Amino acid sequence: MIFLDSGATTLQKPRAVAEAVKNAILTAASPGRGSYPASARGADLVFHCRETAAELFHLPNPEQVVLTSSATHSLNIAIRSLARTGGRAVISGFEHNAVTRTLASVPGLTVDVAHGTLFHPEQLLKNFEKLLPGADFAVCCHVSNVFGYILPVQDISELCRAYHVPLIVDASQSAGVLPLDFVQLNAAFLAMPGHKGLYGPQGTGLLLCHEKAPAIPFMTGGTGSSSLEQQMPDFLPDRLEAGTHNVPGAAGLTAGMRFVMDKTPQTIGNHEKKLRKMLALQLAQNPNLEVYESPDPQLQTGVLSFRSKSQDPEEVGQKLGEKGICVRSGYHCAPLAHESAGTIETGTIRVSFSAFNHEKHVESLVKAIRTI
Amino acid sequence: MVYYLILCKSLTHAQRTALALERSGIPAHLQRAPRQITNRGCSHCVKISERSLTAALTALQRAGLAPTRLFITEGDGSYREVSL
Repeated sequence: MIFLDSGATTLQKPRAVAEAVKNAILTAASPGRGSYPASARGADLVFHCRETAAELFHLPNPEQVVLTSSATHSLNIAIRSLARTGGRAVISGFEHNAVTRTLASVPGLTVDVAHGTLFHPEQLLKNFEKLLPGADFAVCCHVSNVFGYILPVQDISELCRAYHVPLIVDASQSAGVLPLDFVQLNAAFLAMPGHKGLYGPQGTGLLLCHEKAPAIPFMTGGTGSSSLEQQMPDFLPDRLEAGTHNVPGAAGLTAGMRFVMDKTPQTIGNHEKKLRKMLALQLAQNPNLEVYESPDPQLQTGVLSFRSKSQDPEEVGQKLGEKGICVRSGYHCAPLAHESAGTIETGTIRVSFSAFNHEKHVESLVKAIRTI
Repeated sequence: MVYYLILCKSLTHAQRTALALERSGIPAHLQRAPRQITNRGCSHCVKISERSLTAALTALQRAGLAPTRLFITEGDGSYREVSL
């Protein structure tokens, strides 16, 4: 089996991740709930996860690291913290349904889309600048999950600062493959999954919160703190973390982040880009395929979308699956991105690499595509 | 034995406090806070010895974790808040 769907989840994890999960299951109880060693062990594992994330993303304070169950969970918290009825949000034209559906669920919220065609950051910036004045907040993905397009989030953040608009950055496809500095980015919130480029288990995610960002609990319940009060604690991370922590998940995520830090996001990202370039070069020779590659290599990660002129993406994905090659086909939960790129009629086939892929995987995929 | 309890706003804050002290070579023990020192329900605190107090306060100040509430043990097992 050749796994090329790491944009959905990295199936192949470092061995240390599985070992950390297993050890946590066998030894750790709930953090902060008791004075006994197993509870202290759970607390240590969760704290270590926060500390590691703070180190990887350059946060001064691990209390600003909120553990969630996914990037979607993180985005729900962030959006609901900033959205208000009658308010207005600005988003890029490459957002995932985790953003657009959450925005659509807020009654009376107007959503303006800063359009821009694929791999044209200047156009996107101009449109953001037009729409930002008077907006309540903005949301932008760092990398399009469909096309690997690296959006100019640092420039967008600076525009947001100029117009006093808080920014939420969705780092679902960039965490672990591009360098990310939370202080430099200066976003209100940075949301990410733990199970993609950070190599943690599924069911993990992170929300990094600016110290001045308002934090509205998405879920309420026990936190092991301020128990006599019926309001959620007014401090992070407890305010946004109701219920029992996913301690095995946090332990696995820590091991995954350690793997990324040892290799560095830059190295992993460059490795994936190299594979993407190799694949794009081969696929471009096939006149039956449309390949979505940026002419500027700096604008694309190790994610590549393509489509066949004669076959439906679902059909191609199915045939590749039968040959043991795992890719994703369809709309990738991002219809807005397909509208922006002009692929809404069909969707695409998406190949997304990880640190565990190598050149032979690309060769096998190219060979398989020739035969279907 | 006389000791101090540094009351922390959260478990994570208490963990940071204990870690900052340990990194400065000051023995610190994280524990759940006794009911007498908090009226908010479950809380966490960091226990340090009497002789470590001055060094602990300096280390925490340096780490940006200056405590807001500090308690000392009384002979009868109760706690008294110390003004900072």
